[in-house]
Amino acid sequence: MNTVQSLPLLQNALTVGAILFSLGLVGILTRRNLIVMFLAAEMMLQGISVSLVAWSRFHGDWGGHVLVIFVLTVAACEAAVALVFVLQAFSRTGRLDAAAWQSLREATITRTVDQEVPSIDTVPYRFPTLTPAGVLPPPDDNEPFERRHV
Amino acid sequence: MSPLAFDPFASGTLLAGGVMATAASLWLLLPSGRETGAVRWLGGLLGLVALAAFIATGRRLGGLGEEAVFLIVSLVAVLSAAATIVSRSPVYAAIWFALSLAGVAGVLLVLGAQFLGVATIVVYAGAILVMFLFVLMLAQPAGLAPYDRVSNEPFLSAVAGAVLLGVLSLSIGRLSASPAACCGVPSRTAATPIAPLQPGAAVSENRVPETAAPASRAPETAVDPLADNHVARLGGELFGRHLVAVEAAGVLLLVALIGAIAVVSRGEAAHAGVATSTAGPAAGGRAV
Repeated sequence: MNTVQSLPLLQNALTVGAILFSLGLVGILTRRNLIVMFLAAEMMLQGISVSLVAWSRFHGDWGGHVLVIFVLTVAACEAAVALVFVLQAFSRTGRLDAAAWQSLREATITRTVDQEVPSIDTVPYRFPTLTPAGVLPPPDDNEPFERRHV
Repeated sequence: MSPLAFDPFASGTLLAGGVMATAASLWLLLPSGRETGAVRWLGGLLGLVALAAFIATGRRLGGLGEEAVFLIVSLVAVLSAAATIVSRSPVYAAIWFALSLAGVAGVLLVLGAQFLGVATIVVYAGAILVMFLFVLMLAQPAGLAPYDRVSNEPFLSAVAGAVLLGVLSLSIGRLSASPAACCGVPSRTAATPIAPLQPGAAVSENRVPETAAPASRAPETAVDPLADNHVARLGGELFGRHLVAVEAAGVLLLVALIGAIAVVSRGEAAHAGVATSTAGPAAGGRAV
């Protein structure tokens, strides 16, 4: 039903927005990788966008749409500046780790010390493989270094 | 809802169960460095339970097709979002986030925001996410870094996020109980006066009954007022009422562009200076 004011649609869309926002909040609180933290922040912005558009549809008003356009603009600016900072941080520490910058913390906060992490991931990735076929090519000594996984 | 009889399908019970399952699922699924396959399976199962609870608390939309489309796109968005924050590999997180963006664009399309749905795909997935992936490819070391396999306070964060979700869902569910409070704001662009939510239920004392009475039986099947000539009217609104804000956003984009370039060039110079002066206090403070 395509009514002007569909309260069930509004509530469902607001719930989706709330779930996206909460997941983004959990992500930005827990993850240590700077890039993943920014992805989580963008996810919070997505949740807000969904909520704004839902309200906009509910009221038959353009305000939410216009605000989401500005959210997109500010998110693009934020991503540009933030990625520059992330690259600078990486070039100084060699890590994308937020805890690499914990010397900036408050004096009263204790230092984060990494717990014992197994050197190999306990859950191995299963990548798709192709059935070997044909003749095995001769090994190439000039073959560049390959990553086992990303 | 009687307080004496325990009804497992009451919305409050469902909501509480969904919140607790969300917290437990996120706690089990977030990287801790010690998780095994069974823990992940249990976390995924609890996540599905939480999703089922939230779907069960959702409202019926009326049409089966609309319900199915909304359910599918929102499931894609939410599941991919959850996979984004629990992925160990940041590259996989970025790709899951792209799928989540596709779901969000679908939700926006269902909500009638045609331009924004496409703009989300183009701007986010096309530009911002690709930029993130470039940075990841530049900066990510081979293999899974140790900091990708641990989390900061996963239990407290999962509980905090689930509690926030529960509070938000509670207030969203109460929207129907107060239609006069949420719908008293007159719309500027809608040509017809706003109809109350449930016809005949929302004419309160402080409203003038002469204006509310014709609106109460107005658009039961009216189409979305934002639907026809959508992009043209959105552009008119954007460059009409919000022209100054558009100019300000353009200036902001320019400032961000120049600022990014400036930070790169100055940062490289400062980095070279730090590398040459080994005994500076700044360099000593930065070493962790």
